[in-house]
Amino acid sequence: MEQVIANGLYLGAQYALIALGLTLIFGLMNVLNFAHGQMYVLGGFITYTVYGQLGLPFPIAVLCSGLTLAIIGGFMERYLFRTVIRRSHREESTMLLAAATAFFFDAVMLLIFGEKQRGVPKIVKGVFNDYGIILPYDRIVVGAVAAAMILSFIAFMKYTKTGRAMRALAQDRVAAQLMGVEVDRYTMIGFAMGAMLAGVVGGLLVSITGVNSGIGGPISVKAFMMIMIGGAGVAGGAIAGGFILGMMESVGLTVLREYGDVTYLVIFAALMVFLSIRPNGLMGKPWG
Amino acid sequence: MTKKIIGLLLFLIAVFVVAPWLIAATGRTDLYYVFTSVALLSIASAGVWLTFYIGRINIGQGAYALMGGYVSAILVMYYGWSFWWTLPVAGIFCAVASILIGVPILRLRGVYFAMVTLILTEVMRLLALAVPITNGAKGITSIPLPGPISLFGLALAPDFATLENPRIAFYYLSVVLMTVCFALMYRLVHSRIGHICLSLQQNEELASSIGVNIAALRVMAYAISSFLGGLAGAVFIGATQSIYPSSFTVTDSVNFMLNCFLGGLGYVFGPMLGTLVLYLGWNLLFSMEKYQLLIYSTAMIVLMLVLPNGLLSLGAKRKG
Amino acid sequence: MAQILEVKGLTKRFGGLIAVNDVSFGVNEREILSVIGPNGAGKSTLFKLISSFLKPTSGEVTFKGERISNQAPHIAARKGVVRTFQETTIFRNMSVRDNVIVAHQLRAKASLLGFFLGSAEARRDEARFAGSADEILSFLGLDAIGGELARNLPHGHLRALGIAIGLATNPTVLLLDEPFAGMNHDETMKAVAMVRKLRERGLTVLLVEHDMPAVMKISDRIVVLNFGEKIAEGTPSEIQNNQRVIEAYLGVEDEAIGL
Repeated sequence: MEQVIANGLYLGAQYALIALGLTLIFGLMNVLNFAHGQMYVLGGFITYTVYGQLGLPFPIAVLCSGLTLAIIGGFMERYLFRTVIRRSHREESTMLLAAATAFFFDAVMLLIFGEKQRGVPKIVKGVFNDYGIILPYDRIVVGAVAAAMILSFIAFMKYTKTGRAMRALAQDRVAAQLMGVEVDRYTMIGFAMGAMLAGVVGGLLVSITGVNSGIGGPISVKAFMMIMIGGAGVAGGAIAGGFILGMMESVGLTVLREYGDVTYLVIFAALMVFLSIRPNGLMGKPWG
Repeated sequence: MTKKIIGLLLFLIAVFVVAPWLIAATGRTDLYYVFTSVALLSIASAGVWLTFYIGRINIGQGAYALMGGYVSAILVMYYGWSFWWTLPVAGIFCAVASILIGVPILRLRGVYFAMVTLILTEVMRLLALAVPITNGAKGITSIPLPGPISLFGLALAPDFATLENPRIAFYYLSVVLMTVCFALMYRLVHSRIGHICLSLQQNEELASSIGVNIAALRVMAYAISSFLGGLAGAVFIGATQSIYPSSFTVTDSVNFMLNCFLGGLGYVFGPMLGTLVLYLGWNLLFSMEKYQLLIYSTAMIVLMLVLPNGLLSLGAKRKG
Repeated sequence: MAQILEVKGLTKRFGGLIAVNDVSFGVNEREILSVIGPNGAGKSTLFKLISSFLKPTSGEVTFKGERISNQAPHIAARKGVVRTFQETTIFRNMSVRDNVIVAHQLRAKASLLGFFLGSAEARRDEARFAGSADEILSFLGLDAIGGELARNLPHGHLRALGIAIGLATNPTVLLLDEPFAGMNHDETMKAVAMVRKLRERGLTVLLVEHDMPAVMKISDRIVVLNFGEKIAEGTPSEIQNNQRVIEAYLGVEDEAIGL
């Protein structure tokens, strides 16, 4: 039991961080970023290169992942999404663009890094084994870093000028503009931050699960589920959704193991029932 | 009006005369399979397009294509049904299933509906893996070719197994279905029902204030959409003679949606053109080997930047 | 006189908050009745309750003796109680004329299948709708801009288009949601005249509004809400001299309210 909870918390912290980035982008621009999982994978590959291949320290590698993705995210918003949003009759068109960029990332990563599963040396050795819980130290470190990042993200959104501007933007674009928020600038920063979060989690997790170029899509789907559980466009919802999914996976893999690969079937079915009762998730705004 | 008739004639000639003639002249009989796929996938995409038309982003058509395929395969293999009878049954089965699923989930809007339908595809794949009758990951293979069918003594189709190249027969079957499907869609969209669907797309509250039963209409559109998905899936499985849980996946669902976007969400024939371009584009790039996906996705991004309202918006712009 | 629309003990709770508390009143046939109240008095909740866009916690709304609350919104519309929206709620990407034509759905005699197949009945419907839409557009002075895309209209015209859409359903009772909001004096006077014309068409009009002078000018009777409760009901002159009403308004806001 303790083991299941510990695994759930560790998974949940990772998931929440992924979902936060996705929900930030969604909240700011109503764009469902299909490429989010691919951004995560790219972050993983960058850390793999910097830490695993070049041998630089792990924190620097993760920093590189975050920075690179932030830059890529900023460019994507400025030169791709902004153009399409302005010129398209229907805002859903951004979904096609997002899907195309997801394919593009997949293609680039496949060309550069190939199909093989890539891993890096452990960052911390040893296993924690007490109170009925067995958890490798590196997982604890990564989980703690993720939790710290969630807290600093919340603090950032609450207490900095940039954070407040972005929250105003997410709540009501028109009103924010009238109040003098530079909409274009903060949308770009927001997209960059969302991408950065994906990159950082990718970098952190490569030290534990490794990375391969095919997992971007499935990660995106998981991230979608989390923000649906919590409610799209709301930071608290993303965090809640991340932890809930982490916990469900952890419980499911333990309880349902003997029935084979049905954990996700059960989770999906539960999610669909849940959403038909609460169409906006736990705390989402209507229409998302 | 005459313009429309000329357009229709040109289309029929292209599909029934020019394409087979070109294939015969070049000897590329493998192209029959390509065009069959395009025709069937565009039928499924037409369904997705209709849900777009009432204002819902549907990324779940793969689920119904898979469901329709399994219904047909199971009826043919285990119950000895004729392939022909399984087609309407597969479509109706999917329509009924989509009503049961649609009543709760069609209340969701925007990305929520989109994501639930995306997950629906995954649910169907996992179900196909878990349920005994679908035979798990091994799938159902060696499905017999369609037998002959006649109506009131008039032979509609020969026994496919006796044909020299059944692919040609599947080509004709698919394009006939596609033609009928798009003709009906055209009529639907340009009738008052289409206008009401459009009113739903633009403002559901206002539509309901003028007395439109929006819940019923949404379910109806979704059921038609799923019928087309199931029908296309069933024919597709007939043509490939095998079905696996991975026959239609999330990628296919996403592609159906992309076909609609690319062709243009405001145009009935958008999904047909979108499917043709995307499918052919992908296949033409096959020789590029590892650069295939890179070129394909880059082309898509560029296309999106240049024509964010779909390929058919090009013609509309010139007119207006 | 026969009360065509009756609101009986209507109550709506959102969680612990009571937005509308046990409100009752009746609307006479061909009457113009206004519901007013300070901001946050529960006007718009009441409006949504009457038009069936919200389900009441308790109480009911009846039209000609039949209950219309607690059902899907299109049911009320089918019986003849139709609401309008504030201006942004239109079919944005249709022409003005198409907006009105599509809103005729309730008058259709042909079935959906008939429209799909293009039956004779359906063709007659289409012709009737087109004629009726033109009549409504000229009634509201919109005939010159029938071909414009609705999303390109200026504000004043949007409000009129909203009413045109409502009229197309051939309602008995038309519910107007703040028809004078954001208008200057001249525009308000024009809108007041338009509402009077609606009554001359034979309609019963119930409106929710907080532009006091306009309400005083236009209404046969007024219902006043404060904190979700009905505090007064009567003719404009009765309301103007009602002590509770004056207190309610002075207590909440100091802006000119024209009393």
